[in-house]
Amino acid sequence: MKYVFSVFALIFAVFLYTSSSFNKTAIAFDGNTYEDAFEQLDLFADVLARVNNDYVVDINNSKLIGEAINGMLQSLDPHSSYIDPKEYKNLQISTSGEYSGLGMEVTSDEGFVKVISPIDGTPAKKAGIKSGDYIIEINDESIIGLPLSEAVDLMRGKPGQSVKITIARNNDEKIELNLKREIIKRQIVSYSIKEGLAYVRISQFNENAYRELSVAISSLKKEMSSEIPGLILDLRGNPGGLLDQSIKVSSAFLDGGEVVSTKGRKESDNRNYNADIGELLKGVPLVILIDEGSASASEIVAGAIQDRKRGLIVGMKSFGKGSVQTIVPLKGGKDGAIKLTTQRYYTPSGESIQGRGITPNILIDYLPEGSKKANARKEADLPNTLPIETEKTQKETDSIIPVDYPPNGFKIESDYQLKRSMEILKSDTYLNKLNSSS
Amino acid sequence: MNFFFKSKSYKIISIMVAALFFALWCPSLVAKAQINNNNLTLEKLELFASVFYHIRENYVDETDDEVLIQSALNSALNSLDPHSGFSSASDFLEQKKAEKREYGGLGIEVSLENGIIKVNHAIKDGPAYISGIREGDMISSVGGEPIKGKTLEKAVEGMRGAPGDPIKLIILKPDNTEVELNVVRQIVRGRAVRHRIEKGYGYVYIETFNNSKLTEDLIDALNSITKGLNGDLPGLIIDLRGNRGGLLEQSVKVSSLFLDGGEVLSAKGKKLQDIQRYHAEQGELLPDTPIVIIINSGSASAAEIVAGALQDRGRAVVVGRRSFGKGSVQSVIPLSRGNGALKITTQRYYTPSGESIQGRGIMPDVLVAITSDTGKIKKRLREDSLRNSLSNKDDTNFKEVYKKIIYPSDDWNSSDDFQLHKAIELLSLEQYDEIIESNMSIESFN
Repeated sequence: MKYVFSVFALIFAVFLYTSSSFNKTAIAFDGNTYEDAFEQLDLFADVLARVNNDYVVDINNSKLIGEAINGMLQSLDPHSSYIDPKEYKNLQISTSGEYSGLGMEVTSDEGFVKVISPIDGTPAKKAGIKSGDYIIEINDESIIGLPLSEAVDLMRGKPGQSVKITIARNNDEKIELNLKREIIKRQIVSYSIKEGLAYVRISQFNENAYRELSVAISSLKKEMSSEIPGLILDLRGNPGGLLDQSIKVSSAFLDGGEVVSTKGRKESDNRNYNADIGELLKGVPLVILIDEGSASASEIVAGAIQDRKRGLIVGMKSFGKGSVQTIVPLKGGKDGAIKLTTQRYYTPSGESIQGRGITPNILIDYLPEGSKKANARKEADLPNTLPIETEKTQKETDSIIPVDYPPNGFKIESDYQLKRSMEILKSDTYLNKLNSSS
Repeated sequence: MNFFFKSKSYKIISIMVAALFFALWCPSLVAKAQINNNNLTLEKLELFASVFYHIRENYVDETDDEVLIQSALNSALNSLDPHSGFSSASDFLEQKKAEKREYGGLGIEVSLENGIIKVNHAIKDGPAYISGIREGDMISSVGGEPIKGKTLEKAVEGMRGAPGDPIKLIILKPDNTEVELNVVRQIVRGRAVRHRIEKGYGYVYIETFNNSKLTEDLIDALNSITKGLNGDLPGLIIDLRGNRGGLLEQSVKVSSLFLDGGEVLSAKGKKLQDIQRYHAEQGELLPDTPIVIIINSGSASAAEIVAGALQDRGRAVVVGRRSFGKGSVQSVIPLSRGNGALKITTQRYYTPSGESIQGRGIMPDVLVAITSDTGKIKKRLREDSLRNSLSNKDDTNFKEVYKKIIYPSDDWNSSDDFQLHKAIELLSLEQYDEIIESNMSIESFN
């Protein structure tokens, strides 16, 4: 399996290589570059020996070599890096979408651990933990000031074990709760019916993305009994995830044909990925919502649907990450793993997304024109990013698409992008735009 | 403050946050066998090699072996502490150049006054000096272009150039005569020392210790000051503010000029039995002249060695603000086959009283601020605010006491140097002798 990554936090991985195939490679440097490579490795060993001998205090060689591996990877591009054993474990957890814990989303709030929301059906929800509660002790130990990741580690553990949580609510009320850890499945797809239209949101592409999507669609079909008049697929802020899941999700809306192709350094690495025959919602008008935070796997879905004219892309220009990383565990993950950029990917029309992103068919902003926005970083802004491959394409040099802004005073909570998407789906604009898109 | 010539490579060095000590290492001393008996390390080396190979084979684009290894080394060495790192062959060359402070130009130190260039010093036997340019001359035109309206940097840029290239200058002599001169640029060596007579006292500003001829230049500067005062030097100010350090050897030599034998500093490596002691030579340059050293939070490493030695030994009074606190020595180890050099922290150093400066710095005898009182002590970037810096076992409180800081009054003219003002004042006060005496008695206690 391959992975499409993004720069955002908390992203997920699965591996293309197994540890055994990786270890075999270490012996076989090819002939003509052998000497140079060996000389460089020799240099590295030499420096390490000198540092061990002469540094002012004793050296932790494991850590030092970990830093060296990381430095080497990070010099390549912003998405290649070393993953230490602990991070690697977390990565596996977020990939599977499963962990053993209490079932709440938490955030760090000025040194306190604050509950964003308990997840339905989990021990946290059943025990009555509420949004806005502060967790101040775990098993009678204060966690005030503890880094969030360490606090989360304390809450996770073997299923069946009990954990004592002390929470503070409404300033002074202190509540002690005994919870039993359970396997928690994180939902990444949510759906609802809005103004007679189907709405599905995918928050990330972990290994459950397609399965959860198909469950959501069959539920929507049941609940809406009659024909679904239109579907909005919300990929805003979705930072990406697994390549194969992005292909499966695209495939849900395409009846065969190409979804994406990838190219590595060697021609033999090039791959075309096609949709399966048959689609989940044949003939149902489709709008995909994207924004600056939609990256990699999200961009593959949006790019495929746009290029294949299966639906309209609405919102703001996406992040622009057009590269695929492969996760290679080191010694089965015991020594962590490396994340290495191995491929670029291309939409069905042959376009690279790298540094450019997907330009929506209809540009709609969520804030009124001229509003101050938090500066959204895009792939092209990252230091040492992979270069944009080709000249500006026909699409980009075409007349600039006007941006549809909400009127002054429009509330962010009212979600102008979603509101306009629903209007588009219900009007002639949908078909007109779809037919006129190049 | 005057502006001075700076070579480009020098600037690169001076903007580095960390101060460096360069002490050249003998590569043959290194025993490579040391790590080979450690299985874990060998295993990790193997891991490194396999990742290296994997990147070469599988990365999306062609990779460069040298860049990969240099990035690995840089990252590994940087993780040790803020002053360790890897220098590529070209960086290493730049560093060596900076030490020599050589550039193609005229050999003058200048400042901008009323829109024209004033010559503060003409380096002896430099091209300008040979053409008759002297201290106090003004330059109104460089290469046919008038100076008026130009920034000092632009003007200096016009004077720099390839050795052998002539340049036309219009000089205004102090008696207002105008002279047109053709000066041929040469490779000249800049000084890291500036000197002048300030209110009847000697003043030397040492910009950096990263200069292999610093001590010679300093001796010349002191002689010139003494001559200017007709042989009577009533007191000396050594200004080390903003001095980021440099060569360990130079800091020992400079301290030695003002000390009659005895210890300047000691340095200890990983093996505690390896203590290296540095001593001053017998005889001192200005035995009866009171000295005040000015430091601030930007004074680091070699600058702290000089301030610490002269303070501990009761030879000078230190004024200003607590210094940077870099108490470690880095060795530059050139690698074979022109593969650059590594710079690693190999020793901690201690002042003559046995104190480590690491993370603490030198505390002035008299705390004097440069700007007026804001009601609290501003936080400044020092060694202890650097991520991952070496720790000091001595963690006793070492903070400036707010009440003890002397601030300029609100109506103090901010273009006047208050720290210098207080330093000169101190040279003629009884307080000077009291501080010297109490510092000497502390030393004998230890």
